[in-house]
Amino acid sequence: MSAIIEIKDLTKEFKVLNRREGLKGSIKDLFSRNYKTVRAVDNISMTIQQGEIVGYLGPNGAGKSTTIKMMTGVLEPTSGEIRTNGIVPYANRARNAQEIGVVFGQRSQLWWALPLVESFKILKDIYQIPDEKYNSMLELYGSLVDLEPLLHKPVRQMSLGQRTLSDILAAFLHDPKIVFLDEPTIGLDVSMKSKIRKLIQALNKEKNTTVILTTHDMGDVDALCRRIVIIDKGKMLYDNDIEHLKSFFGSYRTLKIRPDGELSAQAELIGKELPNFSVTADDEWIAILVDEDKSKVIDVLGQLQKSHKIKDMQLEEISTEEVIKKIYEEGVS
Amino acid sequence: MKLKKHITLTKAGIMESLQFRLGTFVMALGNILYLIVVYYLWKAIYASAGTDSVNGMTFSDTLIYLVLATALFNFMEMYTVWEMGRSIQSGKIVLELLKPMEYRSYLFWSNSGAFVTNFVFTFLPTFIAVALVTHGAIHMGLNLLFFLISVIIAISINYSINFIVGTICVYTESIWGINIMKQVIVLLLSGATIPLAFFPETFRKITYYLPFQSIYNAPLSILLNAHPEPKELLVTIGTQLIWAAVLMILSKLFWKVSLRQITVNGG
Repeated sequence: MSAIIEIKDLTKEFKVLNRREGLKGSIKDLFSRNYKTVRAVDNISMTIQQGEIVGYLGPNGAGKSTTIKMMTGVLEPTSGEIRTNGIVPYANRARNAQEIGVVFGQRSQLWWALPLVESFKILKDIYQIPDEKYNSMLELYGSLVDLEPLLHKPVRQMSLGQRTLSDILAAFLHDPKIVFLDEPTIGLDVSMKSKIRKLIQALNKEKNTTVILTTHDMGDVDALCRRIVIIDKGKMLYDNDIEHLKSFFGSYRTLKIRPDGELSAQAELIGKELPNFSVTADDEWIAILVDEDKSKVIDVLGQLQKSHKIKDMQLEEISTEEVIKKIYEEGVS
Repeated sequence: MKLKKHITLTKAGIMESLQFRLGTFVMALGNILYLIVVYYLWKAIYASAGTDSVNGMTFSDTLIYLVLATALFNFMEMYTVWEMGRSIQSGKIVLELLKPMEYRSYLFWSNSGAFVTNFVFTFLPTFIAVALVTHGAIHMGLNLLFFLISVIIAISINYSINFIVGTICVYTESIWGINIMKQVIVLLLSGATIPLAFFPETFRKITYYLPFQSIYNAPLSILLNAHPEPKELLVTIGTQLIWAAVLMILSKLFWKVSLRQITVNGG
């Protein structure tokens, strides 16, 4: 194994205009030179090996996309070093582009009026993929997904799931060394999510492609990543095996209930009844964080049912946001 | 091998524009309506002038010029500015920058397919119709070849101007007003809406020092002049070539500087 991405003390700052309020403020803003500096990525270092699948997590606005844009060469770092494939990405964007593939969330790089196969042919010529390599790639795709019906369908007629699948296939087509997947499973149903996870896994295994995956879905992380990196407010919080983190959050579940009566008042009541749990309320649910090593969800539910009429309930895995909150509160050793 | 990328993008553009057949028909219809308006407008102008020839052009000269100018406009019109504006606003520009090609040429070749379809479906039919109806007002000789060369240079000039205006969007993030202004300036000063012969003397002289007349006036004057003097031809095409080179360099430099704005400040 060799390092494919090396990042050292990477920092990125943006200058943002201080906007003022109201019409008067807006007019003043036209002539304003009043900028403030926002540090989107703050002193991050990491090394990623060829063939790794790395989960890159963090809440919205944490600096994930900014880091990825720097790795792809679209953004230039303010300070620090970054090398992918041994070259500096922003200084050699076109050369770097030849070795990377990207899928950016909801945006498609496909030619939406044309059938998928035409997009593939265009990409083949743009990336100068030799015939035999292109054909063997299509063969591989055919063995992994049901390709035939997709190939001849115009992209604009595809469902979101099909389109995401196609975009992933397109990103891998020129056999890049690194593929960046920015929230690939967002908005998809469960069966499509699992299909896409399997595809990513198979392509990573078959081609030894390094995959950098950002997501809010712990399911993606569980299914794909051995290593995860968590950042928040531009700072690195965690960079280690997923096993290590699992020992930390694995036994937690979130029990969500909807009792009769006004939610925030009820939440306060439940909070008093269950002093050892963290109880929070939003517009729809009262959420109770349960550590299953200490007490069973069913017991907590049983206790609640004695004193409250519960209309509806849900059981959820702990979310990325909650993991980050816990890391903040308790730290990771 | 290197050219293949470009031809592929042209082909994709042709296929894409053929997907929207209805759009082509509606555009053709709109054109006919526009030409009817032009016909009656200039008929009224000539009627009120009371002479057969105004500024050295007869009614049929003017009409032939304007019909061909409109056809040329429909063929060369680019939506580069809109496209760049939309890309930059939506952030799609990131995906386009990540293609292993220079953005300026990627965008040009992506749009070049539209030239081919527009040439075949709007310019060529209009050209043939004019040639048939007017019985030889268009000389069929070497001028066609020079016309073709002139049009190709005009496309390059037009693209550079569009690309420069589109690049402004990096700074303004809004493109509507700037694009309308560009449209009006180009259409007026290029001779696409009014033959340059109708401009006052000084104004006309000024337009000859600007790049815009190289887009529409230059190719049309070559096409409609059956027996041009070699010197005249050389000056027209030479001027075009100089503008094409200057604007290409300018648009590339401006983009290079502006790209730093994107990569440094995230657009």
